[in-house]
This record gives sequence, C-alpha cells and structure tokens, in this order.
Amino acid sequence: MSRTLWDPEVSRRSFLKGCAICCAALGLSDDIIPKMAEAATSKKRPPVVWLHFQECTGCTETLLRASHPDVARLILDIISVDYHETLLAAAGEQAEEILRSTVAENSGKFVCVVEGAIPTKDNGIYCKIGGRTALEILNEVAPKAAAVIAIGTCASFGGIQAAKPNPTGAKGVRDILNTTPVVNCPGCPPNPIAFLGTVLHFLTFKRLPPTDRLGRPLFAYGRKIHDHCERRPHFDEGRFAEQFGDCGHKNGYCLYKLGCKGPETYSNCPAVRFNDVGVWPVYVGHGCVGCTEPNFWDTMTPFYERLPNVSIPGGNGINNSAESFGKKALGITGAAVAIHALAGIGKKLAQKKGETGDE
Amino acid sequence: MDYTVKKVWSPLLRLYHWTFAISIGTLVVTGLYIHDPWTNSTLFGTGKFTMALFREIHFSAGFALMAAFIARVYLLIFGNKEERILSFAPVTPANIRNFFSTIGYYLYFGKKEHRPGHNAFAGTFYLLTLFFALGQILSGLYLMYPENLSIQGMGLALFGTQQEARFIHHLIMWYFMLFALVHVYIVIWNDIMDPEGLVSSIFTGRKFFEKKAGPSA
Ligand code: HEM
Ligand code: HEM
Ligand code: SF4
Repeated sequence: MSRTLWDPEVSRRSFLKGCAICCAALGLSDDIIPKMAEAATSKKRPPVVWLHFQECTGCTETLLRASHPDVARLILDIISVDYHETLLAAAGEQAEEILRSTVAENSGKFVCVVEGAIPTKDNGIYCKIGGRTALEILNEVAPKAAAVIAIGTCASFGGIQAAKPNPTGAKGVRDILNTTPVVNCPGCPPNPIAFLGTVLHFLTFKRLPPTDRLGRPLFAYGRKIHDHCERRPHFDEGRFAEQFGDCGHKNGYCLYKLGCKGPETYSNCPAVRFNDVGVWPVYVGHGCVGCTEPNFWDTMTPFYERLPNVSIPGGNGINNSAESFGKKALGITGAAVAIHALAGIGKKLAQKKGETGDE
Repeated sequence: MDYTVKKVWSPLLRLYHWTFAISIGTLVVTGLYIHDPWTNSTLFGTGKFTMALFREIHFSAGFALMAAFIARVYLLIFGNKEERILSFAPVTPANIRNFFSTIGYYLYFGKKEHRPGHNAFAGTFYLLTLFFALGQILSGLYLMYPENLSIQGMGLALFGTQQEARFIHHLIMWYFMLFALVHVYIVIWNDIMDPEGLVSSIFTGRKFFEKKAGPSA
C-alpha cells in the first residue's frame, strides 16, 4: 500500500498542503513542514499496523470520508499502512501472513494503531479474528511496536462496549498495556487531524506528542470545546436556545440549556472542524455530547440534560435529575424541621397543662 | 438569676463564620444560575454579560470560601481551647458521650450538658461541612483550571472527568443547602431552649452561663 511522492494520486502540492494542515494543528512553525514531508516520505519511515477490535469502523470511515483528499491520502497512501483489515486487498490466511511478517520484520520499529475496545471478560472470547482473541493479538503485536496509537473512544477508554453494565468487560488499550507508550486519540469518531498530527509528530520527531493525564495529545485535546466555541459570546451574555427549533435556536444562541457538554469536553472540534467543510456538531445546532471523554455513554447521558441523573440506591432503577433529587431532600428536611419545632411546642404546652393541673 | 460571661470565639473564628456563611450563600445562588440560567435575553450589544458576571461572582466567592477554609483549619490546630478540633470532634470519651446526650437533648429527652464550645454532635457536622467545603474547593478548582495538568491529575484521581466533577460539585451544593436550613433552625432552637446567648455569640464571641450550673468543661 505504500506509495511514493510521485504517485499520480497525490500531487506534491496537495501532499505539502496536508503536511501544512497538520503542522498548523500541532502548533508548529512552518519551518517544520519540509522536515515533516521528508519524514513522511523517507524510505525508512516506520510501517503502520492497524488492528480492529470491538468497533464499528467509524474511525476508519471518517479518515476515508475526509472530503479533503490530501488528508485521507496522506494517511492511507504516504504513511505505509501495511496491515489494515478494512483496506487490505488480501484476505484470510494471506492477510494473517502480512500481519505476522510485518511485525516480525519491523519489531520495535512499527507504529501500531488500535481501533476498537478489547473485551477482557471470559478470557476475551467476545472478539476473535482468525480464531484468536483480540486480547491475544494485542498482547502479541503491541509490545513489539515502537508506539501505540489508540484511535477513537473505544480503543482509548472502552467506548460504548464499556458502557454500563459492560457485559464483555471491554477496556481501552491503556488499561491493558503497560509497557509500550500509548497515545489516545478519542472521539466518536475522532478528528482525522488529531490522528494524522500524532502520526506525523512521531515520524518527524521520533517521539509521541506531549499528552494530558488521559494520554490525549495536548495539541488536539488540550482545551475545552466551550473555550473555543463560536456560540460562546451568547453563553457569556446569557442568550440561550430553550428548545430545538425555537427562536433562540434559529438565531444561533448557545446550546447550554439543551444539554451541550462543551463545558466538560476536551477537543479541538471548534478550531479544526470536520471533514474540511467547516462544520462540527455545535455549528449545525446540536449540543456537544462529550464523545472524547472516558465513559461518556454513562456520564454524558441524558444527552439533552446538563447533568446525569441521580440513581436512588435500592430504588429499583429509579432515576431522578439532580435538581428534583435535591428539591425532594430539601423538602423532606424542611418537613423534619417543622415536625421537630411542633414537637417542642407540643411538649411545652403539655408541660404547662401539667403545671396548672398540679396547682 | 446570676450569669457569668465567657469569651469563647476569637475574632478570627467569627470572621471565618461570616465569610463562610455569606460566601456559601452567594455560591449557592450563583451556582444555581450557572446550572440553569433562569434569565434569557435576546438583547445584543447591551454589554450585559449576565452569565459571565454570575460566573465571576461565583469564582470570587469561591476564593473567599477558600480563605475561610484555611482560617478554620488554622484555628482547628492553633485556635483557643474551644476552637481546637479535640474540643468537639467525637474522638475523646467525653465527646462521644456528649455526642449521644446531645442527640437525646435534641429529641426532647434528657438534659443539656453545658459546655463552653460546640457540643460534639454539632461539632461533627461542622467538621463534615468543612470536609465538603474542601470537596467544593477542589472540584471547583478542577472546573476552573481545566488546562493545568497537575490540577487535572488531582481532579481525575478524586472526581473523574470534568463532567463527573461537575456532577459531584452540584450534589454537594445540596448538602450545604440542607446544612444551612437545619443549622440556622437548631441554633435558634438552642437559643430558645437555653438562654446562653448562642446566636449573639457568633457576632460577639461571648456566651453566658448560669452561675450555679456553670460550664461543665
Ligand atoms: C443567619 C444565619 C446563621 C446564624 C445565626 C449562625 C449562627 C451560628 C452559631 C451561633 C454558631 C455557633 C454554634 C455552636 O456553638 O455550636 C455557628 C457555627 C457555625 N456555622 Fe453558622 N450561622 C448562620 C449561618 C450559617 C451558614 C449559612 C453556614 C454555612 C453553610 C454556617 C456554618 C457554620 C459553621 C461551619 C459553624 C461552626 C463554626 C466552627 O467551625 O467552629 N452558618 N453558626
Ligand atoms: C459551597 C460552595 C459551592 C457551591 C454550593 C457551588 C455550586 C456550584 C454549582 C451548583 C455549579 C453549577 C454546576 C452545574 O450544575 O452545572 C457550580 C459551578 C462551578 N463552580 Fe461552584 N460551588 C461552590 C464552590 C466553588 C468553589 C470554591 C469554586 C472554585 C473557585 C467553584 C468553581 C466553580 C466552577 C469553575 C464552576 C463551573 C462554572 C462554569 O463552567 O461555567 N465553586 N458551582
Ligand atoms: S454551545 Fe456548548 S460549547 Fe458552545 S458556548 Fe454554548 S455551552 Fe459552550
């Protein structure tokens, strides 16, 4: 799959454009572009092995659907993806052989990309490829890689498979591997630029980009959505859409009251946007659902409420919004206070009666 | 009846109490606004930054709370006899006894045990309140400085993601509302049941004790 610079599908011009986009996303000066271009096309550049586990292939799809051909081709053509189940022409035993030989020939040098969560319950029997479990494949391939990049929220934190009650014991790569460095590019799906920037950073500087405490590269996940959002002035000035389709919504007001999770979510969506057509969820009128955060299926739902519900222990799945839960607690306490006061008054009256009776 | 006057609360403790109470009142009101902004505007260009203003007041009050918290922790160790932690924490035998006798007294059984400082039952809740104040301070700092990696490490270890921290921050608010309601009621109730001047003590620092009963501690 590896092609050269002079491949007819990628012109030098569009190739450099792709490098420049990533350079900008990484916050690097444009002096780096030639170095990056050189690293990405060098004969000695590390091959990429792409493992698919419990996933929907949505992450690969976003890369392929990037309307800007430069970015997609840069990923798939220039960096040599030697093994990728979705894109591989080979199948069956042949494909397995490519994986084996790539890993063997490039031990300690290749980049391992993981897409999808890894089930761990019952020895991981819930996801098998070629008769082997995801856990086995990961434990065999990843420790031999120079670096591991987890693409998507599933590979990073478990994603929807790991949502409660997590029947298959699905986990993210970092919860399983502790030897090889792992960078997480979460998102459902993640932005192609976040992924490509990470790869190019590794190729150019021979090390992974600096990350936050959840292993997410800072250049893409260093800030909250809310702090870059184009609707932020409406937030600060107190203009909110109350319902989908109301006049506030039509006027482009802030989606906070419709449950936007931008204030709790780290990602560069508002800056980089998606698929090079300049859109992202909040732009088209839907609140952020927080897809780059761990356990977002559990903690960011209900998607159209600000906060998760409080489940009442022993209450047989009774759920209540934090607001009405608190109001109930306050009501009960108020009633208790009133009863206490009445009991005191009652006791005083009873005592008085007793005293007058004695006289 | 003859009374003796005893000075129990130092100026710093009184200053702490009112900073604490007023900042928490402010934090609850502004926090509820941040949670669900009850105003909505269609005005442009008026320079009315309603949400920004509520957030700024919230953060300023948050720092006042932090200062009050630090003052109280200092007094727990270096304050006068009544202010120190061992005077009311339910860890010494006398305090444990007082803890249960106070519950009885509050349920209209038994007699009040006269002490100059807090009773151990109230003291336990004051300590719990300080603990929750620390929870609000740490989760608040995590929400406020999302880009600081050390704070992120602390927040992830204690609360989880930003969303989980926010949820916890919100739930702890309800503890403060419950505490304030019960606290103000109990303080007034105590003042009615036993005329030692409890309410004014938090302004003046002085309490009054009947000469013959006298403080038992
Ligand atoms: C107008 C309302 C209030 C009055 C009259 C009042 C009065 C008092 C009094 C008399 C005490 C001493 C009680 C004792 O010796 O056991 C006290 C202690 C305390 N109050 Fe309040 N209070 C008020 C509001 C609040 C509020 C809103 C809070 C916080 C939510 C609060 C938090 C505390 C705490 C934490 C203490 C313990 C002080 C210590 O650490 O030693 N108070 N208050
Ligand atoms: C008793 C003390 C406090 C109470 C009752 C309180 C209450 C609240 C509430 C209800 C919210 C809204 C959460 C939601 O539902 O979305 C909030 C948000 C927040 N609070 Fe507090 N808070 C307290 C102390 C603090 C402190 C000490 C700080 C730190 C300085 C702080 C910083 C914040 C921040 C940064 C937010 C998020 C605001 C935003 O992103 O727009 N809070 N608080
Ligand atoms: S739409 Fe969402 S991210 Fe944008 S300002 Fe409003 S709350 Fe923040």
